[in-house]
Parts: sequence; C-alpha cells; structure tokens
Amino acid sequence: MLKLYIQQTVPNPLAIKLEVDDGEIHALVGPSGSGKTSVLRSIAGLHHPEIGHIECANRVWLNRDSARGPRVAQDASLRSCGFLFQQYALFPHLSALENVRIALHNNGESRAEQIQCARDWLAQLNIAELANRLPRQISGGQQQRVALARALARSPKILLLDEPFSAIDIPTRQTLYQTLAELRKRLHIPIILVTHDLREAHLLADRITVIDQGVGLQTANANDLFAKPRNARVAQLVGIPNLFQGVFNAGRLQWGSSPWAFQITDKGKIPPQSQVAWVIPQAGLSVHSTSQDGRIPCRVKHISALGQIAVIEFVIEAIAETLTWEASAAEVRRLGLEQAALVHLEFNCDLIHIMPLRPINDPRRFMSAADAAP
Amino acid sequence: MLDTQAIALSLTLAFWTLVLLIPFGIWVAHRLADAGPLKSWAEAALALPLVLPPTVLGYYFIVVFAGKSLFGEPLVFSFTGLLIASLIVNLPFAIQPIQRAFEAIPPEIKEAAKVSGLNTWQRFRLIELPLAWRGILSGAAMTFAHTLGEFGVVLMVGGAIPGETKTASIAIYDKVQTFDTAGAGSLSLILLIISLIAIAVSYGVFGKPQTGSQRA
Repeated sequence: MLKLYIQQTVPNPLAIKLEVDDGEIHALVGPSGSGKTSVLRSIAGLHHPEIGHIECANRVWLNRDSARGPRVAQDASLRSCGFLFQQYALFPHLSALENVRIALHNNGESRAEQIQCARDWLAQLNIAELANRLPRQISGGQQQRVALARALARSPKILLLDEPFSAIDIPTRQTLYQTLAELRKRLHIPIILVTHDLREAHLLADRITVIDQGVGLQTANANDLFAKPRNARVAQLVGIPNLFQGVFNAGRLQWGSSPWAFQITDKGKIPPQSQVAWVIPQAGLSVHSTSQDGRIPCRVKHISALGQIAVIEFVIEAIAETLTWEASAAEVRRLGLEQAALVHLEFNCDLIHIMPLRPINDPRRFMSAADAAP
Repeated sequence: MLDTQAIALSLTLAFWTLVLLIPFGIWVAHRLADAGPLKSWAEAALALPLVLPPTVLGYYFIVVFAGKSLFGEPLVFSFTGLLIASLIVNLPFAIQPIQRAFEAIPPEIKEAAKVSGLNTWQRFRLIELPLAWRGILSGAAMTFAHTLGEFGVVLMVGGAIPGETKTASIAIYDKVQTFDTAGAGSLSLILLIISLIAIAVSYGVFGKPQTGSQRA
C-alpha cells in the first residue's frame, strides 16, 4: 500500500494526499502542468518535495515532516519502484534483453540467472523474439513492452505509469490495456497511472484523483466523480456538460437571474444564500414537445448526428444558457427535433448535484483525509 | 632525411597526453555536464587555451616552471615540462567534445537507470560512458592531433633539444630555416596524414553517433 502526502511551493505549488491499495489502479488526471508527473517523480525519488511523507509496503521512502520522525530521503535506486516513462527511456545501446537484465544487476543472482529472468519477462509480455534487437529496431508499442518488462523485472513494490499510452496508436493501445488489466491481477501492488485522458482513466482505474495547479481536488471512483464532482473546477476538468451557476438557500436552488428554481435535498453542508455550481446528468433531463408547469421552454440550437446517436444543443433564450442532451435518432424523430424548434425541458430535481464554487489556487490546502480513504 | 626521432618524440608526447588527459577529461566533462553554480566560470577557464596566443601560455609556463623540477627533472626545457604544458593546452580539446556527449544523454535515460536500481558508479559505467563513447573518441582524436601540431608553446617551454623536446613541428621549422625543404616536406606530409585520420575519427567517419531512444 502507498501512503503519501507532499507539499511544496517552489518550483511549482503541490499539495497532494494519496492512499493507494495493493492491487488498485489509481489514476492521476489533470491538465498539462497540473503536477501529476511531479507526484510520480516524488514517489520514485526523482524529485524531492519540501515537505512530505511517502510510505510504501510499510517502508518509509521519504520523510520531510518533523512531526513524523527523523528525515528520510531514500535514493531512487533503492526504492523498488517500477517506472514506465512517457517516452519509455530505453537504453539505446542495449538490446531489449539487456535493457531488462540491467534492472536485475544488483539482485545478487548470477548473470545467467538474470538473463533467464529477463527472458521470462519478455516472454510474459509477448516479445521474447525481440530479445536481441536494439530499441531503435522495434516499434513504439514493442518498446513500451520492453520498458514495462524492465519496470517489472525488479519485482517492484509499486508500478508508476507516466502517460504510458499517449505515444502509441489506438489498436496497440487496446492490447496494452489488456496487458495492464492482466498484470494488475497478478502483481497485487499499487499501480499509479498518470494520464490526461479521462476516458482512459475511467476505463482502467479503480479510483481517480483530479489534480489542478498542484492541488488534489477530489479522489473518487469514476462514477462518483462524474455524478458528484466536489466543486465547479472538478466538474469543469472532468468535462461534465450542463454545468451552471445559481444561488442555494434552504433547499431551493435559484437558477441565476431566471424565474426558475428547483427543490434540492442537500446534506446541510452548503451555507444559506451561497453561490453554487450545479450539474444535471443526462438521465435527469427530459425533453417534451408540449408546455406544462415546471417545464422550461428552449429552442434547438444545433443537432450533431453521430450514427444512431445525436447530440442536441438547446438554448434557453431567457437566460442565454446552453444545454446539451444526447438522444437516439428515433427519439429525435419522435420529438420532431430540428434546428430552431421550440421544445420544453423538464429537470429531475433529485438528480441535480450542487457544489461550492471553491477557489482552487491555494497550494496549502490538502484534500480532507476522507477523500483519500479507500 | 626523415627525422624519425622528432616523429617518435611527437607520438610519445601525444600518447602520454592522451593517457593522462582523457581519464581526467572524462571526469571533468561528466561533472560539467551537470549544471552547477560555477559551471560557466569553469568552462571559460578551460577554454582559455583556445583563445590565448601560444606565446602568452608559453610565457606563463616558463614563469611557473622556472627553477622547479618533478621527479628530479627540471620543468623548463625538458620532456616532463613539455608534457605538463601539453596537458594544460589540450584541456579544451579533450573536455569539450566529451562534455557535449554527456550533455546529449536525455535526462530520462539517466533517471531510468536510477529507478532500475543502478548506483552512481554503475550508471556511469554501464549507461553514460557507453552512450558518450563517440564524444570520448572525438576528444581523444582532437587531443592527439593538436598535440602533434602544437608549435608555439612547445618552442617556448621546451626549446628544440633533439630527442628531448624537438617535436616534429619544431623539426619542420628548423628544416625550413636550414633550407631542407625535402625533409620539411616529408615530415609535414606525415603530420598531415596522421592529423587527417585523427580529425576524421572525431568527425564520425567511422559510424553514426547513437544517443537517445529512437523509434523504429
């Protein structure tokens, strides 16, 4: 299990707390420069944050927190991390086999045993036939498998994957997804995946931590993250459509300056008269051709037909807000949806999720411990 | 008549300069490749022999060497003094190509070596040194060729004592002064050929450089 918190103000602000279980794939997502890779490098010992504590498999790798005992900063070469670099970072002068064997250089075994072990890893990743090739003689996907074999050869206590799928084509990516899923079953170590691709994180990870400007904003499983983003910035970063602002007061959500309000049940965490952000999922919206009390009139702004699915943009002219809604081609026909058509939207208040408009640029603020709990 | 003694002396001087300077040059170049607070000053100091006139260098060598000896040999007008001067004059020729080669190794390659469990010495020996070998070869070739051709410093520090400090380049000068154009010509041709081969090596005639992870 990995337990980590790190904090720094230079060169980039960072304030992250993380706990990753054995066998868990945990994705770190966020925009470029958000600090995802710095977290990974801190775990590997390639970066030393000002303050922090990193513990993996019950061993302290870093302690720069006087409250938690003497200072510890274990060298990267001793941390037992499997690190898959974004551009693989294979040693260009060594064959695939030697690239893997070199990770076993200090394991105390004879050279013959190390070579056999390296061959086994190449075979497990289905690239045994490439053993004698140099990195420049094999494809990007094959290079990545060699790099993965090298990362795993030392029997690491944690596997760190830095944007591992960003530089390879989509068919190769699919087979590597499978490889990762199989490895995860066998290895039973924490696996941390850095990606800016939310779809990929959703597909592969058990839990996701959203990072922005060096701050961990929310840790949750993918479904919770999309249904209940912690604040407006998380909703924005994970690309949730239909994100709006309003004022929440005693169970009543007033939509901006509009005449419409919704009755919302919340947990009493939001103070009265608060400016809030809110989202409505696809399932919480229904579209009707007829007017009725509680329905909001709008016009079809744009229809994008994508095979059997259409994405429709509605504009509520009274408040100049736009909503998107996905529907089947049959549904579009049934409702007679076409450009500029007048329709009526009905919101299911039970599915509206409200959240604070919290500032996100305070590097001193950690996520709450509850966020990081498994 | 071909002055084989002068050629042998030049080759001996070049050989010892190489043997002593290249290991030191690798160490200095490796340190300089990692940026430090005094890197620019160190690089500037090491590059001085490139811009200073040989007479200026020679003058300072004479001032410093005067009256001093090493292993019982005086430093002025001796092979030992010549060798020390050669080591200093050749610093930029040896160090700069090796430093560039170390600098060309992508940082993630060094980091990958680190997280693969290799200690500092193993990273240097197994990863960085093999990746910088072309730079080392280039530094060695430049040093060798430059030592063969050095004239001004050699003349000022060593004079022209046959078998002791009279190198091929000094011998050529002497032969021209005494109108032995045939002797000067044959010595010049030999130096030309040796230098051409050495420079060709440094320019990578015998293979392409290979650093960084390349895609198929």
